[in-house]
Amino acid sequence: MNIRFMAGLALAALIPVLAYAAAAQKPVLDAYAVAAKAENTGFSGFSAERGKVFFLAKHDASSETPSCTTCHTTDPTKAGQTRAGKDIAPMAVSKTPDRYTDAEKTEKWFLRNCQSVLGRACTAQEKGDFITFMASL
Amino acid sequence: MSVPSEKSLPSEKSASSPIRVWDLGVRLFHWSLLLAVTAAALTGFFGSPDSLWIHLIAGIAIAYLLLFRVVWGFSGSTFARFRTFIFAPSVMVARVKDIISGRHVRYLGHNPLGGAMVFALIGVLILILITGTVVLGGSIKQGPLAFITTYSAGGLVKEIHQIFAFLLVGLIALHLVGVIYESIIGKEKLVQAMVTGDKPALPAVALPPLARARPVLALAIVGIVGLAGAYATVSFSSRPGLGVPVAALDPTYQKECGACHFAYHPSMGTKVLWSGIMAHLDQHFGEDASLPEATRTQLVAYLTENSSEHWDTRIAHVLAKANPDDPLRFTATRFWTRMHHDIPESVFKSKAVGFKGACNACHSDAKTGLFAPQNIEIPEGARL
Repeated sequence: MNIRFMAGLALAALIPVLAYAAAAQKPVLDAYAVAAKAENTGFSGFSAERGKVFFLAKHDASSETPSCTTCHTTDPTKAGQTRAGKDIAPMAVSKTPDRYTDAEKTEKWFLRNCQSVLGRACTAQEKGDFITFMASL
Repeated sequence: MSVPSEKSLPSEKSASSPIRVWDLGVRLFHWSLLLAVTAAALTGFFGSPDSLWIHLIAGIAIAYLLLFRVVWGFSGSTFARFRTFIFAPSVMVARVKDIISGRHVRYLGHNPLGGAMVFALIGVLILILITGTVVLGGSIKQGPLAFITTYSAGGLVKEIHQIFAFLLVGLIALHLVGVIYESIIGKEKLVQAMVTGDKPALPAVALPPLARARPVLALAIVGIVGLAGAYATVSFSSRPGLGVPVAALDPTYQKECGACHFAYHPSMGTKVLWSGIMAHLDQHFGEDASLPEATRTQLVAYLTENSSEHWDTRIAHVLAKANPDDPLRFTATRFWTRMHHDIPESVFKSKAVGFKGACNACHSDAKTGLFAPQNIEIPEGARL
């Protein structure tokens, strides 16, 4: 067997894994899509690009946590650290496959962190964009 | 170690040759005790949590040395035996009068005051060992008395332990004064005698009834009593300390609170502290840490049922005294500040520690709420 065949085989094996990763986040994303439609009748789907801008943006609600990147770092495929010194697993689905699969847990952290960073609750549009961005990495 | 019996009794020697006064057992005991007491005193008076283990090992060594000396007081050679240096109080008073009047009476073994000093030193050392074991048990819940000793008893007895320690220093000073007096006024080479064991026989002095050393018997007794003591100590020490929490952390608490920071043991906070923290999770030290109400209620119950009021550990007592200006922060308490004042800010900010509240970064047993002095180690990278 040559090396190219092996690589091809490995890539082929990856496809169902990636598909599963996307599928695992689907129920949570679908629920946010429903909520987003309720918030805004002009809702036209989620965007990884908008999610990226949102993730990197600086806000002025808190000087201690001005951005998602304060704790998560600017690279979602890397581990972050809480201000109290605990490691945070990477936000990217490719690195932490069970992210955004538990609706309750996802909602708990959006509630807390949107309050801490933005000083308000996030919209369903923002949450959906965020997850779409993290699933795209 | 073997202690050979005396090769020859003093009476068998001619009057002019040196007499073996201090047998090997006495000499080894004396210098080993000096070493152990020095280590214990230095770590006791000037030590830090880092040197506690040396203090404890020195204490154990002193205990075994004293055990040997007491047995040797009945089984050693002539001048090792207690009966050769137990003097009536009137003889001691006479000795004092002799010293005052400048009259020197020679003794081969211990003189009446020197003999009394041996008993005083042994007595005070035994009291130091006992009180030290109580302190160890009460204050940091370690050792054979931890299962039965309260924190407050440990604190009280610590004062007594210190008083006896100062008394010991005083006795050692007096002992040295006696040695210097004998060396200058009596022209005795006492230090040399405690090394070689020999003293000149002249001028002639009255000898007590001579006795042969029984080293095999002595070591057998020391071995048996010592092993039994070690077994009892280990077995009592393995009992859970009085008022020491043993249950593992509640899994929900560990999961929810431990997600962002070290999951502080519930015994570290008072009921008031936990209620205060849990009532304002949306403003949790600068962040929103809200929980679903059912989870929050469950954790309030867990924390208040296991708060510092329920335990008798050192941490439960010292952290209960909150700083009125910042009552919800452990690192604002006077105790915390006092214990960490010599640690540079850079250590807390290092990647390996993160912030002041990361207890477990240096205290490897922090999650049990015990915070033993022996379990402190600043991580490698944090010292840079």
